[in-house]
Amino acid sequence: MATKNWSFRMTPTRAVLIALAAIGGALMIARLVLGLGPTTNLNDQWPWGMWIGFDVLTGVALAGGGYSTCLMVNIMGIKKFAPIARAAMLTSLIGYLLVMVGLFMDIGRWFNFWRPFVSWGHTSILFEVFWCVSLYTTVQLLEFGEVATEKVGKRWHKVFKKMLPALLIIGVLLPTLHQSSLGSLYVIEIGKLYPLWWSVLLPVFFLLSSFFVGPAMVTVESLLSARATGHKPEYGVLQSLIKVSGYLMVVYLALKIIDLFYRGAAGLVFLGNLEGNMFLLEIIGGIIIPIIICFTPKLRKSKGGLAAFGILTVAGLVLNRMNVVFTGMSDYIGGSYFPSAIEWLVSIGLVAMGVLAYLFVVENFNIIPKEHHQAYEEQDAVRHSA
Amino acid sequence: MDEQFKLEKKVTRRSFLKMMGGLGLAGITASIGGNMANASEQTGGRGWLPEQYQSSGTWPAQVRGRVPIAPGNPSIARDDKKCILCGQCLEVCQKTQTVFGYYDLPIIDDIVCINCGQCALWCPTAAITERDDTDKVMQALQDPDKYVVVQTAPATRVALGEEFGLAPGTFVMGQQVAGLKRLGFDAVFDTNFTADLTILEEATELIKRIKGDINKPLPQFTSCSPGWVKFCEYFYPDLFPHMSTCKSPQQMLGALVKTYFAKKKGIAPEKIYSVAIMPCTAKKFEIQRPEMNSSGHYWDKPSLRDMDAVLTTRELARMLKKKNIDLTTLPEEKYDPLLGEGTGGALIFGATGGVMEAAVRGAYFFITEQQPPANLLQLNPVRGLEGVKEAAVDVPGVGTLKVAVCHGMKNGRKVLDAVRKGNAPYHFIEFMSCPGGCIGGGGQPRSAVPPSDEVRMARINSIYQADARMKKREAHENAEVLALYNDFLQHPMSHLAEELLHTDYTNRGKRFIPLQA
Amino acid sequence: MSKAVLVDITKCVGCGSCAVACKMWNDLEYRQDSPIMGKESKLDAENWTNVKMVEIEKGPEKETVWRFVKNQCLHCEEPACASACFSKAFQKSKDGPVVYNPTLCVGCRYCMLACPFDVPKYEWSKVIPLVRKCQMCPDRIRDGNSPACTEVCPTGALTFGEHNQVLNKARETINKDSKYIKHIYGEKEAGGTSWLYISDVPFDKLGFRTDVTTQPVPRYTENIMHLTPAVGLTWGALLTGMYVYNRRRNEIAKEEHSKKKNDKKKK
Repeated sequence: MATKNWSFRMTPTRAVLIALAAIGGALMIARLVLGLGPTTNLNDQWPWGMWIGFDVLTGVALAGGGYSTCLMVNIMGIKKFAPIARAAMLTSLIGYLLVMVGLFMDIGRWFNFWRPFVSWGHTSILFEVFWCVSLYTTVQLLEFGEVATEKVGKRWHKVFKKMLPALLIIGVLLPTLHQSSLGSLYVIEIGKLYPLWWSVLLPVFFLLSSFFVGPAMVTVESLLSARATGHKPEYGVLQSLIKVSGYLMVVYLALKIIDLFYRGAAGLVFLGNLEGNMFLLEIIGGIIIPIIICFTPKLRKSKGGLAAFGILTVAGLVLNRMNVVFTGMSDYIGGSYFPSAIEWLVSIGLVAMGVLAYLFVVENFNIIPKEHHQAYEEQDAVRHSA
Repeated sequence: MDEQFKLEKKVTRRSFLKMMGGLGLAGITASIGGNMANASEQTGGRGWLPEQYQSSGTWPAQVRGRVPIAPGNPSIARDDKKCILCGQCLEVCQKTQTVFGYYDLPIIDDIVCINCGQCALWCPTAAITERDDTDKVMQALQDPDKYVVVQTAPATRVALGEEFGLAPGTFVMGQQVAGLKRLGFDAVFDTNFTADLTILEEATELIKRIKGDINKPLPQFTSCSPGWVKFCEYFYPDLFPHMSTCKSPQQMLGALVKTYFAKKKGIAPEKIYSVAIMPCTAKKFEIQRPEMNSSGHYWDKPSLRDMDAVLTTRELARMLKKKNIDLTTLPEEKYDPLLGEGTGGALIFGATGGVMEAAVRGAYFFITEQQPPANLLQLNPVRGLEGVKEAAVDVPGVGTLKVAVCHGMKNGRKVLDAVRKGNAPYHFIEFMSCPGGCIGGGGQPRSAVPPSDEVRMARINSIYQADARMKKREAHENAEVLALYNDFLQHPMSHLAEELLHTDYTNRGKRFIPLQA
Repeated sequence: MSKAVLVDITKCVGCGSCAVACKMWNDLEYRQDSPIMGKESKLDAENWTNVKMVEIEKGPEKETVWRFVKNQCLHCEEPACASACFSKAFQKSKDGPVVYNPTLCVGCRYCMLACPFDVPKYEWSKVIPLVRKCQMCPDRIRDGNSPACTEVCPTGALTFGEHNQVLNKARETINKDSKYIKHIYGEKEAGGTSWLYISDVPFDKLGFRTDVTTQPVPRYTENIMHLTPAVGLTWGALLTGMYVYNRRRNEIAKEEHSKKKNDKKKK
């Protein structure tokens, strides 16, 4: 029996992250004590700002790497992607926990956060999001229980292993519902959200993009974590993984174009105004160029190409969410909003906390596959011989 | 080993299911409970409304709401925080002044308002007050480059004392002058001076009308009440030819200060800042009338205005109090010469019927060149608070001069309708927009809220008593006025007098949709 | 029965009695920098109604007219805020008012985003904030009175009554008198509202949003919500199917692999 040893290697970067996390934490307390007015730049014209636009909407989308990986590896049985599965699910878990904290910061009457559990505003998309995200985070915690109990509380390990199949299935079902619902939130903004982004298909767009950003996020975080921990990234897995993204992006792009023409909004793309240009940036930088990289084998198989794909897709997704929440609404709303320093520092602090948590867990639990690498070779041998 | 394992498995499965079952039950109970807990707590509704709005539903009510005040109204301002929707302002405007409600809707580009300020007198909380100009005047007083001149209306000297605890009607003319001097005004003049001047100009005009020397109809209307003038401009512009072309005494003095006085004293007219202490809020509107820049035309500087600021009696009291000047302890001081002399006839301008009485005294003298008899120095038929008063004065060699007096525009309407129909056999009619005349003006102290006849009578009596005490009681006895004619104007309705002391009127009949007849 | 109010803009003289009554009845604060009347006035946490002054050029001669527009929550028949609230803090009462229950409010402000008329406002400066908007005086209506604002109007610009009565009066008025624009604002906008407006100048000049959908706003999300159970069950079934299929496949592969291993060992 190996003795439980907890390690956390300290580096200058990690020190900075700890500082940022501490600042963020202190400011979160300040926001609870002082209220939203003094700590944010939110106002009656812009009731939703950075914490919803970035921490919640973008955060949930980026954390979607967990469910897309889970779907592919555990349900569709594509074992080839197994090595990155745990890392993806950890990122996703941490992501969702950060979303919940970010959300908690944003709601004005935070002590009432439990109300929708008993008072069902079932006509609201937010109701669906709320329940789904709550249940899903619980599911993810339970899924992580399977990993954690490899090291602590080992007698519970069998319990978690028993629950796993149900959890896995629920853990793909729920995100499908709420990733799309986050898009549905903005369907009610008909007439207010700029026609380049408003559509009845918003839920489909959000769902698709949350799915295809999964592999991109996994790529980015694999490459970064490999650099941080000294492990070699699984290039073969990744370059095969992003092809999934690529196909979905093509579907997404096609749907977007059809939708624009159907609603007669296609002419707005090249108007040259802020909305048109941001839309082009989002589509070209975040969809078209990554598609090109993905389906050009030379680019796809290169380290630089992989990195570019990951970064551009993730950036494109972030830009898309920002465009829906801010750019697309600015024409209707007028007024002005730019996040306050406290809003920035809290968001940055939360991300720092997330990164630190990820690094700690990776260092102390079985996330990055060393043994699994062996097992994978074994299984491969089995298949080939069968 | 296997059995043990199976047992463990069974236990874990059963206990797991038990746990889930328990949780599920708890969850369902909470949810049902939560959905039924339709807490009837609401926001709002913790305040109150005045009694007339309780339990009246959609039943009609006598008085609802408050008067509209246009955003740029120069005379009155309202502090919504103090408004309790009592409806008094609406009541006086509609029922006493017959302004609100006497136009059809929709409005065009004006809120019909004659600036009389009665709403400010009736408002129990003083939510409606005069627009404050004290800062403006204080600034001018502190400006070493400005020569600040002030004039005082007769009605203010029988009311200012009330702001310092004196009985309504206490005559504080001398103390008022002293107070103004202590505030730093460079010259203190008396509006009575130009009241006398008005009599001479207006009586001359009246006689010319009667004789047929000018082609204007009778009866002639007085024109010194700017609230009344605006009322006529709104509702009876067809009767303009009846209106005397004389300006009000305030505006006459304003024009003369920046011409006659400026020349005499060798002061550049642009350096003069001309202020008036008035019982009247409509005067704040009057000084803004575009045509009130005769002195500007005289000097070929049309941007020069005849008057620069008007302070109500209440505002003056506030200024004195701010400077810790106790009116009651001041000595009596005299007005400054040149434009400071006034007769008894000028003094009674402040009371309803006073202008008429003074004009009759003057007209009698002009026509007969004799001193008017004693009854014209106490013309009782035109005195008092009766809404419409009439008098007939025998003028030897001419006949009977028939006059009428009314105050408050509800009474004014009656008279005007009669004039329109040709049913007004008068030569001269005095109109005052405020009940009681100027002593009941919108800028007077709120010694009774709403204003009472008792206070009005106290002030009126004080004025007539002061008139009775005076040596000179007729306008033509005013030496300074005579000097003015000698040195400057030459004679009543001379060319210069027409330019500086006479005016014309603006048809406001199209600024609203009239009520269907 | 559902109550409604007709606002006849031609009859408003901008006295502000309604706005003062609202402040009095609901115990709202007056703020210096947030007037209840005039060109700069707007709704906010303490202004549940305001009377906005607009100067418009009317008619072919372009004569300038002043018009006063009373703004407040329109109490939609199918309110977007109530549909958007995930804890049922906003509810349409059967009397007509769309009422806010602070006990249930989480403070997410989705209602503010959802409202097609941008009505709900927030108490940003408070540590325990509320969403604030006109409540249409539900307690007064319950007692058989009209809301505070309609009660105090001196010119009859505001008429309170049963919804269909009020709508009929609006129709009669605009049909009888040619000065009115032939449109009742609120009859169809956002699926119909309880506060109806008639006017003699075009509504867009008065600052009304004229591009509001006539389909009730909640209908859009309702359609999506109705799909959820179907999608959930179908997808759930599919996933379970896939999982079972792939696990079975792996099990078979493992069995064959270990069988082969055993065979090899035996040999």
